[in-house]
Amino acid sequence: MECRNFKELLDSYLCQELAVETNHQLLNHAEHCPPCRAEMASRRNMREALRRACSQDRLSEEACDRLRARLRAEVSASESLIGRRQRWTSLFDLRFAIPITVTAAVLIVAAVVMLPFLKSQTTPAQLFELSEALLSEAASDHHKCAPKFIQATRAAVMPSTVEPTYVGLEKVAASGAEGLRLHAAHVCAPDGRRFAHLVYTRDGALISLLVTERDKRALKIGNLPSADVSLAGLQEANLKNLSLGAFQTPKHVILVVSDLPTAENHKLAQTLASPVVEHIRKLDGQSVAALPQYRFDDGLTVLIASLRKGER
Amino acid sequence: MNADQPTLVGGDSERQTKTKKKIKILIGNSAQNTQQKLQTFEAQALGFADQLFRVALRLCRDRAKAEDLVQETYLQSWRSFHRFELGTNLRAWLYKIMFNVHYSNQRKDRLHLVPVEETIAETLAYDPPTPQRLTEAEVLAALERLPRDFQIPIVLSDVEELSYREIADVMEIPIGTVMSRLHRGRKILRTELVNYARESGYKVSNMAKRGE
Ligand SMILES: [Zn+2]
Ligand SMILES: [Zn+2]
Repeated sequence: MECRNFKELLDSYLCQELAVETNHQLLNHAEHCPPCRAEMASRRNMREALRRACSQDRLSEEACDRLRARLRAEVSASESLIGRRQRWTSLFDLRFAIPITVTAAVLIVAAVVMLPFLKSQTTPAQLFELSEALLSEAASDHHKCAPKFIQATRAAVMPSTVEPTYVGLEKVAASGAEGLRLHAAHVCAPDGRRFAHLVYTRDGALISLLVTERDKRALKIGNLPSADVSLAGLQEANLKNLSLGAFQTPKHVILVVSDLPTAENHKLAQTLASPVVEHIRKLDGQSVAALPQYRFDDGLTVLIASLRKGER
Repeated sequence: MNADQPTLVGGDSERQTKTKKKIKILIGNSAQNTQQKLQTFEAQALGFADQLFRVALRLCRDRAKAEDLVQETYLQSWRSFHRFELGTNLRAWLYKIMFNVHYSNQRKDRLHLVPVEETIAETLAYDPPTPQRLTEAEVLAALERLPRDFQIPIVLSDVEELSYREIADVMEIPIGTVMSRLHRGRKILRTELVNYARESGYKVSNMAKRGE
C-alpha cells in the first residue's frame, strides 16, 4: 500500500468500514511508515476531540421531564379510549364465556405438554447469552484502543493499582499466548465500560484479550442467572469485520477480539483465554468443568455447553 | 351506562360479532400491556435522548427547536413502536424517525436545504496532514463552518458512530453520496484546522506542503 492510498482509506478504517484484508494492509503500512502512523494518531485524536466537543450538548432535565409527561399523557389518552370500548364489549362476555374458557383450557394443556420441550430448547442460550451492548463495547474497545500500541516497545505490565483480579493478568495469560507478541497491558474504558486489556499481534493481526465485569448489562436477559455459570461455554459473534469469542465466570466475562477469520479466532480464543478463564474462575469462587458444547443460531452464533442435568 | 352504547350494540349481525370478539381479545391484551410497553419503550429508547438532541441541534441550529424535534421524534416512535423489530438497531431507527419528522416539518415551513456547493471540495487539490494538537473548541468551530450537508454525515459517523449504510438509511440518500460527502467534508474540516493551526503558530507535521 502507498501513503496516498493509506490516507484515502484512513477515515473509513477509523469508522470500521473496511474489509479485514484492507485493515491488515493498513496496519502493516502504519507499522513501517512513521508519517502515516503519525497521521493515523492525529486523525484519531481529531475524531475524539470532535466527539468530546459534541457530547457536551445534552437535553436539559426539564426537556426530559416534559418528554416523559407527554408520553404518559399519550398513554392515558389511549387507555381511556380502550376502557370505553371495553365497556361495550363486556355485553358479549356471557355469550363467549364458554368458547373462550374451552380455548384457554386447550391452550394451557398444550403449553404444559410443550413446556419441558420448550425449556430444554431455550434455557441455556437465554441464560448465558451476552448482550449486544457488551459485544459491541468490546469490539469498539479493540478497535479504538489496540491499534495505538502496535508500536509499543516497552515491556507491557499491568499496573498494580488496578482491580486485584486484573493485577498480573499478562503473566497469567502468557502460557496461552505462545506465538503472540504482547504490546500492552492496562485497564481502559473508551466507551464507559471498564476492560482489563491485553494487546497482542501475530503475523500482522491485531488481537485483544479483554476482561470485564459480568454485570446486568453484560447479559441479554438483563438479570444475572442463578444457574451454574460453568455451564456457559464459548460464545462467538462477528461484529463489523471483527471476530469475538467470549467466556464467562461467575463475576466476569473474558473476550478475545481480533480481525482474524472466525475459525482462527475460535482456535485462538480457546488457547489464549483458557488460563485466564481458569484463573478468574478460581478468584470468583468456582472450579472449571470440561463440558460439551452445542450450537444455537439466532443472529449470533452461540456455542454453549449443554445442561448436564438435561443430558443424563 | 354510557350513552353511546345502544348505537354500538345495535345492528348486530353474526359477522359483526365475530369481528368484535377478535377486537375484544386484542384490546384485552393491549390494555394490560400498554403500561408495561411504555416502560419497555422508555427503558430502551430514552437513553438515546442526548444523542438525538445533538444531531437535532445540527439540523435545527436552535435549542428550542431541537428540543421540540426530539420530543416529536419520541412521540412518533412510541406510536409506531409495535412496528419496531427487536434485535434491529433501535438507535438508527430513532434517527430515521427524527429525520422523517424533520424533513416533513421543513416541507410544512416551506424551507429547503440549501443545495451543497459541489465545487468546494473539488478545489482541495491535496489532503493536508491533520494537526497533531487541537482543542475541542477549534474542532467545533471548524465543524460549525461546514455546510450542513457535510456537517450532518460527519456528526452521524464520527460522533454517533453510525455505519455508512445506517447514515444512508437515516438521511434517505444513496450510500455513495454519504461516502463522498464524508470524504469531502472531512477534507474541508482538516484544511480549516490546518489553516487555523498555521495562523496560531502551531507546528504542523508537514510544513513542506505549505506552498500548495
Ligand atoms: Zn505512509
Ligand atoms: Zn485498551
